[in-house]
Amino acid sequence: MVRTAGAANRLDTIDPTPPRTLWELFVGFLSIGARSFGGVLPAAHSIMVEKRRWLAPADFIETCALCQILPGPNIGNASIVLGRRWFGIRGAVVAFLGLFALPYLWVLTLAVVYMHWGARPSVSAVVTGAGAAGAGLFIATAVKLGRPIAGKPAALALIAGCFVLVAIARVSLVIVMPVALTVGMLFSARGRL
Amino acid sequence: MILVQLGLYFALLSLLTFGGLGPVIPEMQRYIVDVKGWMTPGDFMQLFAVAQTAPGPNVLVTSLIGYRVAGVAGSVVALLALCVPTAAIAWSTSVLWERFRESPWRRVAQRALTPLLVGLMLAAGYTIATPHAPDWRLWLIALLTASGMTTTRVNPVWLLVGGAVLGGILL
Repeated sequence: MVRTAGAANRLDTIDPTPPRTLWELFVGFLSIGARSFGGVLPAAHSIMVEKRRWLAPADFIETCALCQILPGPNIGNASIVLGRRWFGIRGAVVAFLGLFALPYLWVLTLAVVYMHWGARPSVSAVVTGAGAAGAGLFIATAVKLGRPIAGKPAALALIAGCFVLVAIARVSLVIVMPVALTVGMLFSARGRL
Repeated sequence: MILVQLGLYFALLSLLTFGGLGPVIPEMQRYIVDVKGWMTPGDFMQLFAVAQTAPGPNVLVTSLIGYRVAGVAGSVVALLALCVPTAAIAWSTSVLWERFRESPWRRVAQRALTPLLVGLMLAAGYTIATPHAPDWRLWLIALLTASGMTTTRVNPVWLLVGGAVLGGILL
């Protein structure tokens, strides 16, 4: 998120100014949406902290932490939390619409094109390859997230349990999530995680 | 009727999207493909791939699923159903957040959630890379991408492009 400690310190010394108009808020989130190829957080940081200076770096990290704990898309949550902070409910709606407008149009256009051409074997092979690569990105995220807890038997048991129940046995997440969360809380409260 | 089913299902699912959309992908696939039969697992994987190439939050895959199942109205309903309940939670929680900042339970919950998310992300990778019978070519692309992502700092978009090229060659 924050590129270098030096840059963060430099930005910390400048007082952030929140967006002054709803239009400025909309355009800011519109450009976050448009620029966020391969991950939204870097684009959000670059626009809100570095370019438009709406937020101090520490404030940005704090907002991200909140949005990561909540269910829902992190940056979607951030648009609601920040829009609300600056302009109330109008701000929340405007920021959310700005964030999703361009990516939504993009993805829908692609879908229309894809449905037209997708039956061709060569197109299907390329798209399937990109899908498998997308699966690889999930595995990479799991590895990064799991590294710090890989030495703990209770954590490994939970990881394996969730994987087998959801991927192999294909039990509904509506059942798996509450059960696994209860077991996790028990382990966690006893200091096993 | 199909719009109502779609909306209710995604609204329920949205409450389980801790850690983003990845962890709920297997559940979504189970419902859309196994339970409802709205598309094949291969279609699901390809829609997922199309959504990956778009900028913006990866929840956009829901709008593609909605579009495939019920047209433009379906795409709007699916996206809003997935986002609005959690937006309401974000709205109300940002008020309470300061109060619980020092609570030890925040840490306990965070630690409990991490292994769950790891297991579910692995399940998402497995489900997407195994639409039909296990295929070593898809697993190879997935594993190469995963190791590229963990060992380098390259923008993931390039890894997707690499996967597409490999797919064109191998499949």
